[in-house]
Amino acid sequence: MRTPQTAPSRMHLAFAVLGLAFLGIFSWVFMQEFFAEWRTTQAQFRAIEGQVKDPHALSLAPPADGIRQIWLRDIDRVDRCTTCHLGVDDDAFVKAPQPFTTHSGTWLKTHPPDRFGCTVCHGGQGEATDYRDAAHQPIPHWSDPIRPRELIEANCGTCHREREPKEAFLLAAGRARIAEAGCIACHDLPGFSLDEVQAPRLESVGYKVRPDWLRKWLADPKAYLPQARMPNFRLEPDEIQDLTAFLLSQRQTTPLDASGVDWSKADADHGRAVFGEARCVSCHMIDGRGGTLGPELTTVGSKVRRDWLYSFLEDPMHDQPDTRMLRYRLADNDIRDLVAYLTEDLVDPDAATTPPAVGFLDPKQVEAGKQTFIKHGCFSCHRFGNLASTAKIGPSLMAIGDRTVEPSDFRGESADPTLENYLYLKLREPDKLAEDSRMPTFNFTEQEAATVVVALLSTRKADLPASRVTDAPAPKPYRPQGAFGALVSRYRCLSCHQVNGWGGTLSTVPLDRIGSQLQYAHIVAYLQQPYAIRVSVEARMPHFGMTADEARTIADYFSSVFVDDALEKPFAPAPDAARRGAALYTKLGCRGCHIIGQTGGYVGPDLSDTGHRLKPGWIQAWLAAPEKWKPGTLQPDYGLKPEEVQDLTAYLMTLSRTAAGRTP
Amino acid sequence: MPSLTAATRTVRSAWRSVFRVGWPRTDKDRTAAMISSFFLHVHSAKVKKHSLRASYTLGLGLISFYLLLVLVVTGVALMLYYTPHPPEAYRSMKDLQFVVTFGPVLRNMHRWAAHAMVLVVFLHMCRVFFTGGYKTPRRFNWVVGVVLFLLTLGLSFTGYLLPWDQLSFWAITVGSNIASYAPWIGDDLKYLMLGGHVIGSGALLRFYVLHCVVLPGAAMTLVAVHFFRVRKDGLSAPPQPEPSAIVEAAPGRFPASTRSYGLMALTDRPAQPVVESDPEDDEVLSWPHLLYRELLLLLAVLVVLHVVALVFNAPLEEIANATITPNPAKAPWYFLGLQELVHYSAFVGGVLVPGVIVLALVLIPYLDPKPRGVGVWFARERRWANWTFGAFAIVAVVLTIVGTFFRGPNWAWVWPWMR
Repeated sequence: MRTPQTAPSRMHLAFAVLGLAFLGIFSWVFMQEFFAEWRTTQAQFRAIEGQVKDPHALSLAPPADGIRQIWLRDIDRVDRCTTCHLGVDDDAFVKAPQPFTTHSGTWLKTHPPDRFGCTVCHGGQGEATDYRDAAHQPIPHWSDPIRPRELIEANCGTCHREREPKEAFLLAAGRARIAEAGCIACHDLPGFSLDEVQAPRLESVGYKVRPDWLRKWLADPKAYLPQARMPNFRLEPDEIQDLTAFLLSQRQTTPLDASGVDWSKADADHGRAVFGEARCVSCHMIDGRGGTLGPELTTVGSKVRRDWLYSFLEDPMHDQPDTRMLRYRLADNDIRDLVAYLTEDLVDPDAATTPPAVGFLDPKQVEAGKQTFIKHGCFSCHRFGNLASTAKIGPSLMAIGDRTVEPSDFRGESADPTLENYLYLKLREPDKLAEDSRMPTFNFTEQEAATVVVALLSTRKADLPASRVTDAPAPKPYRPQGAFGALVSRYRCLSCHQVNGWGGTLSTVPLDRIGSQLQYAHIVAYLQQPYAIRVSVEARMPHFGMTADEARTIADYFSSVFVDDALEKPFAPAPDAARRGAALYTKLGCRGCHIIGQTGGYVGPDLSDTGHRLKPGWIQAWLAAPEKWKPGTLQPDYGLKPEEVQDLTAYLMTLSRTAAGRTP
Repeated sequence: MPSLTAATRTVRSAWRSVFRVGWPRTDKDRTAAMISSFFLHVHSAKVKKHSLRASYTLGLGLISFYLLLVLVVTGVALMLYYTPHPPEAYRSMKDLQFVVTFGPVLRNMHRWAAHAMVLVVFLHMCRVFFTGGYKTPRRFNWVVGVVLFLLTLGLSFTGYLLPWDQLSFWAITVGSNIASYAPWIGDDLKYLMLGGHVIGSGALLRFYVLHCVVLPGAAMTLVAVHFFRVRKDGLSAPPQPEPSAIVEAAPGRFPASTRSYGLMALTDRPAQPVVESDPEDDEVLSWPHLLYRELLLLLAVLVVLHVVALVFNAPLEEIANATITPNPAKAPWYFLGLQELVHYSAFVGGVLVPGVIVLALVLIPYLDPKPRGVGVWFARERRWANWTFGAFAIVAVVLTIVGTFFRGPNWAWVWPWMR
């Protein structure tokens, strides 16, 4: 029997070392688990909880011990944020440090956590249980980090699809900007309609504009007019020449004949008076004053040809069937003088005085111009014959908020490679991020671009359950027929007024129940001779020159169709109601905003003629709940009792122009 | 006290019923221990000192086996939390990462052990080649080893899809496309593999079943075969055996194992005609010399794996999304050499080269059967074989490194430090 073989001692040493190393490393695994970030955070919370709560409240609170999560079943999302944010729904932690602070505002009441969780609004990785992985700051491989304050409204917009979501001001501003800039013309974008894009038709533009103006305009619209809606397409000089030739060759509709006009008798000063009487400034701006519904006119005399303008004012729909401009009932001489005023007084001193005659254009250049027109997608806004049916020129933005960007997309621009930075740069300087980009430059301000980014980021894949989406119903087009319809079309009522949410927003008076608000005689008189009800408002009803027959047609329609039976109650006030109402009028300080006769404030409507103007049912309904009829109105809701409403109405119904002087 | 004595006796006898030899204190007991234990008898009672030299085997075969064990243990644990269906599969990964106790360590260890195993099995193959270990009588075992290498790749590849993130989705997309370059059957092969034309829930389930049932079963079985042959043919090839001593099973005759030690080594029974020219001093008992080394190696592997698993997190990208293609989309790293070749020619990289390589690997022992230069690294007699194999191995490694580190968007050349 030999001596048993034994292992050499260096192996024992190796065993000791490796064994200890293994024990050490294995206990490290345990330590990592039991000193996990969320466990130590919960220990801190328990300490704070003991300080801010009394023992009774403490005993009622669920123990902060273990992972907490909110499961949003319908969108299959798990948020574990409340594992650390333990005080969000508890007012006791208002002053506690983060992550334990109570949630700010009333958001948790409007968006209860058990239905909305956290990441639906905030972004971030809800499944994570540590600060870094929750994506409080952007992390790799999580495309949806917690949104900073300036971007968080993008998450509001994912569910709130309406144009102006409440309390999401950046988002609403961004969406308004998108609508205004006409992004929908070139890109598919949910929530916007091609009908919102406004651009003149160009089929007859060859008769309309002067060549030198057109070249200047094409080179940079904002140089002509800083608030120009058309963006800058960064055209090359030869493209401008070609495009000018192409546009000037467009002469489909011959203007109405102005050859019989004796321009030598034109009186520009009288024209200026006509301009004022017709209230053109409600829509048109001159030298920075006036409305924005129509084109700016400061140097219109250097832009359009005189004969075309004469024809346009005779009948705007003649070559612009979609225009918002109404057709005034003006005498030919008035139009002549108006044209003289516009073309002689409103001119650019640097421009040539007389334009070259409409004449021959090189067909090759015209064809080249057509290609330029197509290349830059001009047909997207300027609907143009059969070109309008061409597919949208820009990429679809239907889920732009889900797009991923690579550093290479930035083409050397120094910015964090995030989607918001990409969109921001693209909006501000479209030519920087792509070779030969055809997207025009909109000259968005930093603020505007930021709001548009928010609105774009809110446009995400449409995979939300319908129960989570809120949207304003799209207004139904309102197109009245018959004699009334013809008048609505001629006088373009819907350029400013709305019916069932359809129409312009310049006027704050929707027509839906106008027949129950105004007295018949007043409507007839007012349409023929409009005057300022609210003197502080610059945009006023134009002076159409409407005939009495036309006014009656409209008033008849209003009084039989645009009515609300709830407002049409018989009004039989008590004998001394008007006296009490007058006292109430004084007591409430109505005169602070309203004029009666010669005295009162300028904020609200002039009430001098109320007795001949308004219907009592409407006055009562309005006084009882102004906010119901006009959200955001300046009229205070005094919480009047029904009898007070009746008294005040009785008083107001006694007011008339003739009686205004002698207030009871 | 009698009851205590009786109890002690019962316990001791129960103990003996399991461990019949007890703690072996004599060489005879040590031999008996090796033979009486199911788990230990995969070892021979005695081993050559030669095969214990770490510098000879580098322990690579054993490390591979340990990694396989770790993968089985961690893999079974991971299966408890895994749902092989999108998108819950991805959710399982997030749960493992954030809420499952020890989840991150489990997953990390499984991931890194899998990568390590591909590497170690490859190195093991190189080691066996450079020491001439594939020669008679180990020719068939080399073939088994080649198949095991392919199974290792298959296991790793099928496991790659399971996290269902962008990385896995696109790696498998690229990988399965490489398979589709096979002539005639390529598309059918891909269809069979994915259970469809694109990677979806069907592909995930297939990969899951392959990864957790089929391939591990096949690998375990072949590992047993591999070990059995090692056991029968000796732990590793001895240096310079006499050509005449090399015997493989002749027809109709029980194979006389060259390294089948039994109790006969220590008893008076006349020894079988063991073909053995080395002096007895060249051998030591497996207990403790081999077992101790195995234990130390196991500890070392575990320590290294734990450290790696604690320090480096297994990658997990965004959830798989067929509409967002990363650029470049890369196969798992061990196929990047092939992808690099595919970049030049789909047929060459996808079919020709891998086919020829596998065929060549299988045929090596039959093309080069002469037992010369066995048992030493880089024997002079085999320098042409070593040069050839070495050149292929280096090219494979270089192509893989190029594909991994030097290829950027559109598979364009990118310096790693320029990223």
